Amino acid sequence: MNELLESLTRCVERGKVDIKSPYPPDLKGQDGADEFARKALDAGIPPQEILSNGLIIGMQRVGERFRNKEIFVPDVLMAAKAMAAAMAHLKPFFQSDALKHKGTIVIGTVLGDLHDIGKKLVSMVIEGAGWEVVDLGTDVSPEKFLKAVDEHPGCVVGLSALLTTTMVNMESTVKHVKAKHPNVKVIIGGAPVTEEFALKIGADGYSSDPQGAVEFLNSRCTTN
Amino acid sequence: MPESSSPDVVTFSPSVDTLGVDRDLVVADLGYRNGETPDMVRELVDELLPQLPSHVEIRCGFRILPSGSIDVAADSVTANGISFSMGPIIASQLKRSTSLALFVSTVGPQMERWSAQLMAEGDMMKGFLVDALASEVVERASVWLEQRVVDHVTPRGWKITNRYSPGYCDWAVSEQQKLFSLLPHQFCGITLTASSLMVPIKSLSGIIGLGPDVKRGAFQCSICELKDCYRRRDDPEPAKEKA
Ligand code: B1M
Repeated sequence: MNELLESLTRCVERGKVDIKSPYPPDLKGQDGADEFARKALDAGIPPQEILSNGLIIGMQRVGERFRNKEIFVPDVLMAAKAMAAAMAHLKPFFQSDALKHKGTIVIGTVLGDLHDIGKKLVSMVIEGAGWEVVDLGTDVSPEKFLKAVDEHPGCVVGLSALLTTTMVNMESTVKHVKAKHPNVKVIIGGAPVTEEFALKIGADGYSSDPQGAVEFLNSRCTTN
Repeated sequence: MPESSSPDVVTFSPSVDTLGVDRDLVVADLGYRNGETPDMVRELVDELLPQLPSHVEIRCGFRILPSGSIDVAADSVTANGISFSMGPIIASQLKRSTSLALFVSTVGPQMERWSAQLMAEGDMMKGFLVDALASEVVERASVWLEQRVVDHVTPRGWKITNRYSPGYCDWAVSEQQKLFSLLPHQFCGITLTASSLMVPIKSLSGIIGLGPDVKRGAFQCSICELKDCYRRRDDPEPAKEKA
């Protein structure tokens, strides 16, 4: 693999944002995701390759290590920050079609629930996997989810909840969205949510962690 | 010093300095063990800890039900005519109780705003650490409050059980409605939504069994079935008990 892409992968995996960033200490003073993304573009590497063969691989490793409890939330946040620093260079290419998202996920914490952190974390990892994330926030009504699905044809829906009392609102959301858009796929997650519950309410997928959500999206929701 | 009110409804506003919130407890809750915490995380927690006093508004309190007013069955407890279906795990721990302390604690709404503001400004890391600190402070406040319950009931010759919260060990979160119906309106500034969510978010609620013959059981996690909870502790250290 191209050395610059390998460096990008490593920067995301280690959360190395830019040359000024003192974190991680063993990479202090060295180029970060910011510089390597610039260099990769300058070297003529196509943006799609930078994303797919550099950044996404780094974020995938982060998601897997987080799942295995080898790293923790702060490490994921640093990785997401490094990813964002590189993405700042790639963003313009989305307009020119030189770069494409794998798809769009409309995500939110369901009605009656104000928990944000878990959903935010899942969003970052999904974004790092090359998906466009439309984050509707917390306490999102079924109507608001439906409106967002109307506005993003072909999107996937992601629902999060922290308590069993709010988790029940996932069912009404799934019903409401699927009544109008039966083919829209819905994935759910959050501390009290289980696979069994997902099946019961007619959701298409469940994951206990961000990487599982990515795997669901990549395997069940991509057309290309 | 207690702040209020009727003899068996007592509220407090302890200062955060009295709660023993320390960096190591916070980073352990993030999952890090054995000194593997990145220096940056440690340094940020150290930077945020002294800022807590200007962001927390800790309030906590309890109501002690009259002696003999409760009835403990195999999987439920009836108090003041309200039956808590808490399941056999918790009910068995309350077996010899003659009364209950119903408690809440909160760090107030300010911490959530601080965390959200940091995140909105793009500082996800600090925002997340503030969120984690808020969780730790409310846990510490609940531990602190337990001791106030002890102080309150010791003169009566009573002892206390562990704390038990709706949402744990098969006790449904929806039973929060019953718990709050026995507490003064907006007790300690907390409101309960229709979906049984306490607002402010960083709040805890629960009950403690009281009576001359009750005792604090072994460590709380030992009776919980959530095996892969990232806060699970295998060492029975009372200072780290969770709700
Ligand atoms: C779309 O696809 C997807 C895919 C994956 C998805 C997804 C969507 N959304 C999330 N995920 C997943 O990926 C994310 C990243 O890994 C994860 O998101 P999380 O949001 O879960 O993870 C966060 C990054 C970190 N996790 C957290 O912040 C939650 C951790 C645990 C330990 C927890 C904490 C810290 C707290 N709590 Co409490 N708390 C627990 C939690 C137990 C646990 N191990 O999860 C849980 C959620 N709490 C519980 C309870 C009961 C309660 N808590 C309460 C209070 C608290 C604290 C204040 C002490 C504190 C902060 C809570 C907060 N909302 O900020 C109370 C409620 C508070 C309220 N406001 O009403 C109270 C009701 C207790 C009480 N009676 O006082 C339990 C809920 C059980 C249930 N039956 O619903 C609980 C599971 C603990 C338990 N029993 O083991 C995954 O879930």
